Amino acid sequence: MDMSMWLALVSIAIGTYLIRLLPYIWMKRSLAKRQTEDCIGSMPTWLTILGPTMIAAMFGTSLVPTHSDTLSWLATGVGILITYGVWTRTRSMGLPILCGVVAFGMVTLVF
Amino acid sequence: MSTTTQTLAGTPWKQGVKDAIPLLGGYIPVAISFGLISVQSGFSVLETILISAFIYAGASQFLFVAMAASGAPLWFVVIMTLLINARHVVYGPNLSPYLNQDKKWLPLMHGLTDQIFALAHARLPQLPDQARIGWYTGAAVLAWLSWIAGTALGAIAGGELTQRWPLINDVLPFALPALFFVLIVPRCNNRLWTLTIALSAVSAVILKVLGFPNVAIPLAALCGAALFYALKNQRNMGGQ
Repeated sequence: MDMSMWLALVSIAIGTYLIRLLPYIWMKRSLAKRQTEDCIGSMPTWLTILGPTMIAAMFGTSLVPTHSDTLSWLATGVGILITYGVWTRTRSMGLPILCGVVAFGMVTLVF
Repeated sequence: MSTTTQTLAGTPWKQGVKDAIPLLGGYIPVAISFGLISVQSGFSVLETILISAFIYAGASQFLFVAMAASGAPLWFVVIMTLLINARHVVYGPNLSPYLNQDKKWLPLMHGLTDQIFALAHARLPQLPDQARIGWYTGAAVLAWLSWIAGTALGAIAGGELTQRWPLINDVLPFALPALFFVLIVPRCNNRLWTLTIALSAVSAVILKVLGFPNVAIPLAALCGAALFYALKNQRNMGGQ
């Protein structure tokens, strides 16, 4: 890589880090300021809604199979159903995910 | 997400590592693909590993090597890759109520990816205050190292690996939607949140299928948030 490419790489790395860091610092200071002013230190409501909806959106985008054919969608549906079924029984993280991946893999391999 | 505080069986960082293990199913295959594509685009193995270590953001890394290889102006490459990561601005503020004043949180923000945010948003409220930094360190460092290791593997032997074990690419990535699902499903405990979550997820699927993968997450999240406010206003007006 030449110098200009390194410069681009460093700019992206620093920029990405600051995108993650600065909003955190801003909110931390904002919460601390509200507490010192004897207000209840709480986040803006829109932010508390955006957190779960971002996770739901990540779930949606990750759900779309790489090969968008009927079998892949079927495997995805079965995988999620099995994940949900095991989750309703265990209310844990590891086992439902493992069972979901195995079910997804079995449908992919068998058909 | 439940806010019941849980006691930990082991040390917090070990619990963080354990909770982050499902992420590897999604991280490693994508990192292998990135390593392979980066080397094929003309970057060396070391450069490829450094890109993963320091940028550490999947979509923008793929865009970086693709645009750089195509000879796009570098200022444009920088802007586009940062725009893709703009969705990360809501992650830190959402976690900040659960993080203490420890200065170690500042470097740890490098590890705040989509998946670590989703995991931390669900798990941090359940942990005692003093265990949170250890838990986050374990989860984030495991994810980061797996991303770097997967990239190295892809850069060195990616072609052979994916030919010999195609399951790495075909089956393991399903761990990611399964992980997001178990993180978000406890939120669906009333009609308002169930509809909000469902609309966000369905919008994201539609946007990605239509060919807009990079704007799918923020746009779908905004759709869900808009529905949340609409339903809440409707309920408030009905109650008056």
